[in-house]
Order: sequence, then structure tokens, then C-alpha cells
Amino acid sequence: MRLGKVELKLEKRQSLAGWQAAAISILAIVFALALFSLIFIIARINPLLAYREIFSYAFANPYGLPLALNRFIFLLLCTCAFIVPYRAGLWNIGMTGQLYLGALGAFAVLFAFGGKDSQTAILPAGLVIPCMLAAAAAGGALLGAVAGLLKGKLGTNEIVVTMMLNFVASWFVAHMIKEGGLFMNPGGRGESFELPPSVYAPLMKDVPFTGLVALGIAALLYFLFAKTRFGYQIKAHGLSPAAARYAGISAVGIPVLVFALGGAVAGLAGYHYFAAVPGVYKIARNYGYFGDLAFYGVICGLISLGNPLAAIPVALLFGGLSIGGRYVQGKLHIGFGVDYALLGVLMISLVAFQFFYRYRFSCAKVGEKTTCGSLSPEV
Amino acid sequence: MQLGLLEGIKSGDTVLRTSGITKRFPGVVANDRIDFEIRAGEIHAILGENGAGKTTLMNILFGLLQPDEGQIYIGGHEVRLRSPLDAIDLGIGMVHQHRKLVSAHSAIENIILGHPRARGILDLKRAEEEVEKLCDKYGFRVDLGARVWQLTEGQKQAVEILKTLYRGAKVLILDEPTSALTPPETESLLASIQAMATDELGIVPFITHKLPIVLAISHRVTVLRRGRVVACLDTECATEKSLAREMVGRDVIFRIKRTEVEEGKPILEARNLSALSDKGLMALSGASFTVREGEILGVAGISGNGQHELAEVLAGLRKARGGTVLFDGQDITDSSILERWQMGIGYIPADRVGVGTIADFSLVENMAMSYQFDDDFCHRGILDYNRVRQLTQEVIAEYDISTPGPLIKAKNLSGGNLQKLILARVLTRKPRLVIACLPTQGLDVGATEFVRNKLMELKAAKTGILLISEDLDEVLSLSDRVAPIYEGAFMGILPAGQARREKVGAMMAGIRVEEQEQL
Repeated sequence: MRLGKVELKLEKRQSLAGWQAAAISILAIVFALALFSLIFIIARINPLLAYREIFSYAFANPYGLPLALNRFIFLLLCTCAFIVPYRAGLWNIGMTGQLYLGALGAFAVLFAFGGKDSQTAILPAGLVIPCMLAAAAAGGALLGAVAGLLKGKLGTNEIVVTMMLNFVASWFVAHMIKEGGLFMNPGGRGESFELPPSVYAPLMKDVPFTGLVALGIAALLYFLFAKTRFGYQIKAHGLSPAAARYAGISAVGIPVLVFALGGAVAGLAGYHYFAAVPGVYKIARNYGYFGDLAFYGVICGLISLGNPLAAIPVALLFGGLSIGGRYVQGKLHIGFGVDYALLGVLMISLVAFQFFYRYRFSCAKVGEKTTCGSLSPEV
Repeated sequence: MQLGLLEGIKSGDTVLRTSGITKRFPGVVANDRIDFEIRAGEIHAILGENGAGKTTLMNILFGLLQPDEGQIYIGGHEVRLRSPLDAIDLGIGMVHQHRKLVSAHSAIENIILGHPRARGILDLKRAEEEVEKLCDKYGFRVDLGARVWQLTEGQKQAVEILKTLYRGAKVLILDEPTSALTPPETESLLASIQAMATDELGIVPFITHKLPIVLAISHRVTVLRRGRVVACLDTECATEKSLAREMVGRDVIFRIKRTEVEEGKPILEARNLSALSDKGLMALSGASFTVREGEILGVAGISGNGQHELAEVLAGLRKARGGTVLFDGQDITDSSILERWQMGIGYIPADRVGVGTIADFSLVENMAMSYQFDDDFCHRGILDYNRVRQLTQEVIAEYDISTPGPLIKAKNLSGGNLQKLILARVLTRKPRLVIACLPTQGLDVGATEFVRNKLMELKAAKTGILLISEDLDEVLSLSDRVAPIYEGAFMGILPAGQARREKVGAMMAGIRVEEQEQL
């Protein structure tokens, strides 16, 4: 393409450094926000005002910030749950079901300790909370391992299996918490019994400790992929199952292990939302809403290209925007769902900009053969 | 359609000419001022090692790449080929090394796919008649109604050639035309090519290594080396040796210096081994043999006769359906591939890109494929990347792997360098038995020589080697004993001294020794 005296050429990239990927993503976000401001303008709203409200509520408001952080923790866990199988070339679409089973696992521990019978019971938090975490992870891992085993042994499509298991888990939750269910609320409101306050998750400045757990998991996964033998085996299987098998890496073991590990992390997301977020402390009637939210783990995982550290800012942005978007919608009396619309535009923009992970523009003065410089988004 | 440019061309006229074609990629000049010309009725072979710039030139001629400098002339008129569509419209046809056919469709459906006339309602009958005429004319024997997946490699290639001819190609570019064919298929292809050449088509086969074929069929040869034309001569004036020298830039020894090693004890014994193919058919039936330390047992056979399954069964990648395998006297029939690696069995797979290496892994990570299970390289689950990297660097120097560094991804290596990497990875583990599958297939002259010498060194170090190859000359020149394989069974095992070319060739076609003697 020619622009005056400069010829613009599309070139294939030879390599992509981490900071380049980050810069491209930031450009994509700016682009998405610019694009979405058109929608605000059509709705006769000042986009600058709207964005100020969104960001200040999500990241600077004493009421909004904890909400945004809780959502961020949830999304980060779901993203990590997606990333582990993704690095092995497998798609986990079953975070929803895995987190449900994780939540049920956590509540089963409460049930066993008598947490259902009395709201005022003083349970030994130092024992019960670790048990709840372990049971949540085990529940998620169990459901994940089913998909992994079917994949490894029979070659069943893991996307279909995890997706279908979501329904199984969803109805299982309903069975447990609705009328007559083992975990039903004594008041029978179609939700589970509530946590006794003695085993509420410890808070650090209004944020549950699960935040540290999520950040720790992201860091550990990064280490897993960068340094360990198991991480190497996962990556090898992901890039070429035939070559991995040739290298002596089990073609059954890897799918089972990555899905169990991913499922365990998703199970912790279930613990986080239903047993650690202040103000919830039960498997709520609208649990399906959180299940749907888990799908953003897929999006965040793809945007961060399977890098668990890159997932942290991505999940933070998505968590914040979904909270801020919902808030601004009420505040400015907007007639449509700003949160999902904004996330949708952002998602499309980020995915579209991944084109520049593989290509870049370079410009050359017409008549000269050497590349004289480069134009954004070559960064 | 601009076929007009080539109308009324007579034998000997220049149909396609390039002048000063230059193409740069970051860091390399793939084509450096290439002048090349093809006349009607001529077979003009282009010869060069991997990485000499053949593929780039071919892609430029077919419109897949645009040259940075230089011109292309067709029938004397300068043209710009922006895409393969331009090239096809101008009468340039290309047959790729890897088949590009729809396997569930019939041959004739593939032939008319994309043809300007194949829009709306198809007139298959008329097309079939016309294509049949082409078949008769050039001696292709293809059942046009058969589905492509039912065809042999040679027939598939004929379909591709017919497809380009049917679209009116006047210049036919063939990429490694004989690489996937059996000897009889090769012969009939060469006959067809010659028939086409007498019909005023310009034919440009690109060939890396099969020098005898170049000498047998071409009229002229252009040799490329490092992106430049280093020679363009009439084939009559060329010999195998002179062409190899031009290609490689130095003299090449065609005869391998054999090392004689005293025979050791049996390292691998297979008894009555059988296995199924991926399709569930009996692919290997009752193979029994022994490989001794310091011995090369060569399995010679045409592709698809069970040698692939044999290699996989021995490597542990495929279950044996019957029979036993002993390694050093120990029954390993049910051992996993991991256990076999650890015992000292090294496997060099035929599929270098899909099985032997991981394209998106760096050379270090590829090296780690054979070391990740080794506890010397892995402490408490942490892989010692530094040590693997050091090893990779040593290997790059020792095996003369040309790469900018150990952290380059494997997909940037040429076939020869990739094979050297695999070889290095297997050999540095000091295996006691090596199963080498098609170790030199598709490699250029220099890399082939390197690999064969390495196998000889290995033999001298008392390693047992099972060499599986489709190149009869390779098997005969390297092996101590030769086992021709046909339809999953060994036709006998001959000591090198008795393995005459004709005899082994007949055995590869299914005639046993005793039957030969009766004839």
C-alpha cells in the first residue's frame, strides 16, 4: 500500500518479545475503548465521563474496588484452570462444572463439621478452611480428570465432554441445594445453607485471602512451565502429541493430569465465590451467573496466550470493567448492558490485534529498498 | 485467460525466462540475480542442496512470492505474477511435492476443481473424455472414477499433473517429482515426462539429490548454490560427479568407506513378530531376525511393506500382535518406549518434522526430548535447562549444524540440519541399538554423506543398527546383512557378499531366493 512517498508493507514477524506482545495488547485496549465510545456517543452520553465513572468505581472506589478484586480473583483462577490444559493442546470449557463441584466439595466439608445445623456454631477455622480448600480442589479435579481420562484413553473430544459435564454439574448443584437437597437452606429459598461466620475466609483489607492463593497459583504455574520436567512434558504434548509420545511422555497421563490440575484450580474458584466473598457465603440461587462468568477464563487465557503471569493484568482488566460497566449503567441510566457489551468489544479487539503478533507493518520510502523505520503497531 | 502469450510456440522457442531475480529474507539472500530460461520441448532440471534457493525460485515462478528485483518474461512479454492464479492463467502449472488433492473426491473431480469451466453444472462426462485423451497421449494410467484415497502415490501425482495440463499449462514445474514414488512408478513417470516434452511443453523438475534421474531425463541443468546460479549446462556434458561438485562446492565421495567390525553378541532378537497397521490390517507378519553388536542389518523395501510398523514395534510405539522381542537377552515385547530409551535403544523416526522434532520448540528444548526422562538432567522435577543447553551447543559444533544459535526454533532448520539434530540427540545417549528409519531420505548430498558416515562410526563403536531404507543403494552400501521386506514378511536375509542388486530388487518385489534360483 502506498501513502504518498511511503510504501507500507506487511511483513511476517520473525519473533515476538514479551514486551511487544504487551504493547500490542495495550493498543488493542485503547482501540476497543475508542470504538466503544462511539456507542456512548450514539446513546448521548459523554464517553469520557462514562469511562471516568467506570474506572474510578472499579479501581478507586471503596465500594467498587473490593467487588472488582473479588471478580478479578475469580477470573484469574478460571483463567489458570483454562491455561493448564491449554498448554497441553487441550481445551477446558468445563470450568463452570468444575467450580460447581468445587463449591459442593467445600460445602460437604462444612456439612461434615455440622455447619449446616447451627449458624452460630463455632467451628475450628484453622482446620475447616484448609479442608474446604482441599475438598474444593479435589471436587474440581475429579470432574476434570473424567474429561482427561476419556481424552487420553479413547480420544474423545475434550471440548464436548467438558461442556456436557457442565450441565451434569449444574443439575447436581440444583439437586443438592433445592427443596429436599442435602445442602438446602433451612428456609428453603432455593439456595444452600449459609456458612457459619466462624469459618468465613480471612480478609485482608476487605479482600479474602483467596487473592493470594490465586496470585500464588499463577506464579507457580509460570514456574511449572518455565522450569520443571512436568511443565516441559505438558508443552511437548501440546505442540506435538506424536513427538511427545516418541520422547517417552505418556499420551494418557498428560491429559489426565492437566485436566485434574486445571479442574482443581477451577474448584478453588468455586470456593472463592461461594465461601470467601463477603456478603455471599452460600451457593446462591443465581449460581448459574457465576458459572457463565467462568467462560471469561477461556477469553482471558487466549488473550494472555497461555502465559499465567500475563493472565494477571488481563483478568484484572476484565474483572474491573465488568463491575464498573454494570455500575455506570445504573448511574447514568443507560438502557443496555454496558458490562457485557464492553467486554465483548474488548474481546474482539484483543483477538483481532493478535494479528500483529504474527505480522507487522514496515514502511519504506518509495525507491529505496531498505526498511527505513516502522509504524505502529510495530513496537 | 492470457494464454495468448504462448500461442503458436514452437519447439525450441523460449517460453519462460527470468532475469536478475533477487529475493531477500531477513538475514539471507535466498535468490541472488537468477537468470534462468526454459524452452518449449525442453526438460530443464534445477538442482541444488536444501537451502540453495530452489523453493524460493519455484514459489516466485508460481506467483506465491514476489521477487524484490528482477523480471519474469513469458513468451517474450514481461509479466507480474501476483498470485498462483496469475501464473495458472499464463500457462504455468505446478505439482507440489506434497499432494494437494481432496482425498474423498474422485480423480476426475479433483482434476476439474478450480477449472474455469467447472462452474455451475459440471459436465463430468466431457471432462472425462478430454482427460482420457491426455492420459493416452502421455501414458498415464489412472482410473478417473476412483477416489483419490484409493490411489497410489504415483497415481496421485499423475492426477496432479493431469490437472495442470487440463488447465492448459505450457510450463510444468515439478517439485521433487520422484521423492515419494516406487522404482517402477518412477520409471513410468519419467517416460510420461519425456512424452510431454516432445509435445512442446517446457518442464522444470526441481530435484535435490537424485542425480541419476537428472542425467537420465533432462536436456539442460541449472545448478543453484547459496541462492546463485553456479552452473547452467547441457546434460550431455555433465556427470554425476561434476554435478555433485557444483552443488556442494567440493568433491563428494559416493562410496562409503566401510568399517569392518568383529561381530559381537546378539543385541536384538525378534521372533515371529507381527503387527497391525493403523487401518487394522496385518502389516507385519512373522518377522524373525537378529541384530548383533557392531552390525548393520539393512531392511530394504518399497514404502508401505511393513517396515514402518516394524520400526514402531521395536521402538515401543506400536503394540506387537504376536511374537517376542529380546533386547540383550531380556524380553521387552511389552516394554514402553520410555523403558526402551532408558535401556539404550535409540530410534530415529522417518518423520523428522512430525515425530522426531517439535517445530515450535527451540533446539535446546528439542534436545531435551531425549534427556527429560534422565535423572542426571532433572533434579527434584526441575529440568536442568542449562546443562541441556550446554550439550546442545556442543552438538551444534560437533555435528556442524548450521543455525544462528541453540535457542532458534527447530522449524527454522533445513531438513539436513534437523536430521543431524535428531541423530545427535539419539547418539549422545550412547545407545546399544539404533533403529534408523529412512535416515537420509530427502537430504542433500552433503548431509547424506554425513549421516552415513555417522552410522559407520556408530557401528565401529559396537552398536547394533537396524537400518530401514527405501534406497536400495544405501542399504547395499552400508549393511552387513540385507533383509528385503515384502508385504510384511522378510524374503530372506542375505550376507552383504551375496546381496547383488538384481537379486535384492527381485526379493523386494516378492520373489524369494529359492524361486529365483528356479527361474
